[in-house]
Amino acid sequence: MYACKFYIKIPRKNKNYFITSRRLTQVRWSRYNAQYLEPEVNRELLQKSWDELSEEEKAEQELKAVRPIKAAPSNVTSSVFSDPMISKFTNMMMRDGNKVLARSLMAQTLEAIKRKQLEKYHQAPEHEKDKIECNPYVIFHEALKNCQPVIGLCSITRGGKTYQVPVPLTDNRKRFLAMKWLITECRENKHRRTLMPEKLSQELLQAFHNEGAIIKKKHVLHKMAESNRAYAHFRWW
Amino acid sequence: MREGARPVLGGPRGNMAAGRPSPVPPSPALPRRPHVLVPRPSRPSSRSAALRLIYTTSVVQRKNVAAAGPEKYTEAFIKKQIEEFNLGKRHLGNMMGEDPETFTQEDIDKAIAYLFPSGLFDQRARPMMKHPTEIFPEKRKIQWGEDGRPFHFLFYTGKQSYYSLMHETYGMLLNVQEYQDQMSAQDFTPEKEKKNLPGSRWLTKMELEEMLLEKLSDHDYSRFIQLLQKMVALPYGTNEEKYMQKFSKEIAAQLQKVVIDPLQYDERGVAFSTAEGRRKTARATVVVYDNGSGKITVNGVDVLHYFPVLQDREQLLFPFQFLDRLEKHDMICTVSGGGRSAQAGAIRLASAKALRSFVTEKEVEFMRQAGLLTVDPRLRERKKPGQEGARRKFTWKKR
Repeated sequence: MYACKFYIKIPRKNKNYFITSRRLTQVRWSRYNAQYLEPEVNRELLQKSWDELSEEEKAEQELKAVRPIKAAPSNVTSSVFSDPMISKFTNMMMRDGNKVLARSLMAQTLEAIKRKQLEKYHQAPEHEKDKIECNPYVIFHEALKNCQPVIGLCSITRGGKTYQVPVPLTDNRKRFLAMKWLITECRENKHRRTLMPEKLSQELLQAFHNEGAIIKKKHVLHKMAESNRAYAHFRWW
Repeated sequence: MREGARPVLGGPRGNMAAGRPSPVPPSPALPRRPHVLVPRPSRPSSRSAALRLIYTTSVVQRKNVAAAGPEKYTEAFIKKQIEEFNLGKRHLGNMMGEDPETFTQEDIDKAIAYLFPSGLFDQRARPMMKHPTEIFPEKRKIQWGEDGRPFHFLFYTGKQSYYSLMHETYGMLLNVQEYQDQMSAQDFTPEKEKKNLPGSRWLTKMELEEMLLEKLSDHDYSRFIQLLQKMVALPYGTNEEKYMQKFSKEIAAQLQKVVIDPLQYDERGVAFSTAEGRRKTARATVVVYDNGSGKITVNGVDVLHYFPVLQDREQLLFPFQFLDRLEKHDMICTVSGGGRSAQAGAIRLASAKALRSFVTEKEVEFMRQAGLLTVDPRLRERKKPGQEGARRKFTWKKR
């Protein structure tokens, strides 16, 4: 880390730089130099013809032709089965670097969701069959979206007292909180003999229908933020 | 007054001020005996101070070597070096039995390497014979005249080339703005002509320093680049295209830098292509055959046995799936070193490189933009002393 006197953190593409009043100071270093751009694995985007692109995309394409590109990470493929959100969730579930176990748990969870939904589907009467969602990926995304809080709390100390100030959250932060709550809920509040996939699938299905412990946690957070509305002016960013 | 009566402190500096060619710059180790003229303390009766010649040693008249600044070479010195070099080149040509007329720099390098073999690792420390312009870095000539007055009006800023460059560029900017005002007064709409920004880049700080023969700070450099960018962004900025071309360089497209091997054919007439790949410590060699059925063999063993983990097999199939050639090729790989994931990554890179020979240029560019053709440079970060791991610190204990 480099020390700098005073700094403004500007969220731009190069997140590793703090801009001081005078010069750029490197905070975290990477094996790639600053010229390298992120890879684009999605095949459909690459096969768009030149005329369909907007102005920004054209400029981006021109830049990509000239700059070197980083290597694709090893958990990413161009197949339809690789989903960035599922990969992120698997990584968060992983313990001690045991990716094999985490991935198998995730696969079992999705299988469990599918089985439960299929059971419901076969037992439901004809006119209700359309409403039952059987795709586990859709259920996962929907459940995660329902779990995301809209506003969060931040501790700010003023005059010796620490206040909980309501603060808007970025997309990344929302997704992270939703996933974190899901995982901690499934690890702690379950019977000793239930396995993780089973508990996770239960929680995901509940969250999909806007019920369950995690949705409750989200509502509690929203209520706290609403009650602390008076301190909102403490926020300076 | 005689010329010699003028007080002169040191030999070389006095010579340079007069513009006369100086001798080879003297090393500080050798004791010199400069002529020093010192006004003798006059007797109270005589009014004019009588100047007498006094010889002293360099011990008393030691020049502050550090304060003098970097060594400056005169033009005459460089010329002499060039003459000596050309003469020496012809002698060397004669010695080696070659024709002195057609003795190129490469021949010189080979001859020197033969005559003075050196085992030193640093190439710059080995004996070399190159044209003096390559050896003596281009230094600034003396910036002041005989009377001591500097030539340039910005000399006393300390960074005269930089400030004069900024001054000139700002003048251009004002011209462009004036032109723009004139045009808008006549109600002409400016045409937006965009300069091909990705295809060219501004000079780097090092290149600008070389151009100006002056040291720059990061701040100075960034200010100059900001000024250029401002000028380009203006509607009629392209008026000063010629001036700005001095400070920009073309970048060739990344694709053109790599040479793709042509396909080879084996005894059966089947096309194949070989390539190598690496990731961390793993090294892989891959042969991709055409007219195949999607069979992959790794180190003589089927892929399902060698890579039981799904993620590794996905990585192996990634280049084929990306190009829609999943069941059209056979692959035989040999891999060693690294771990499970590193070996998979190495084979992935090797197979992507091998597939370049089968595929059009546009698809190669797509592969490059997907990150399949870049060597992954990430390595395990070392553990640091005073910490438990690479990043993890020891538990903080209050006492």
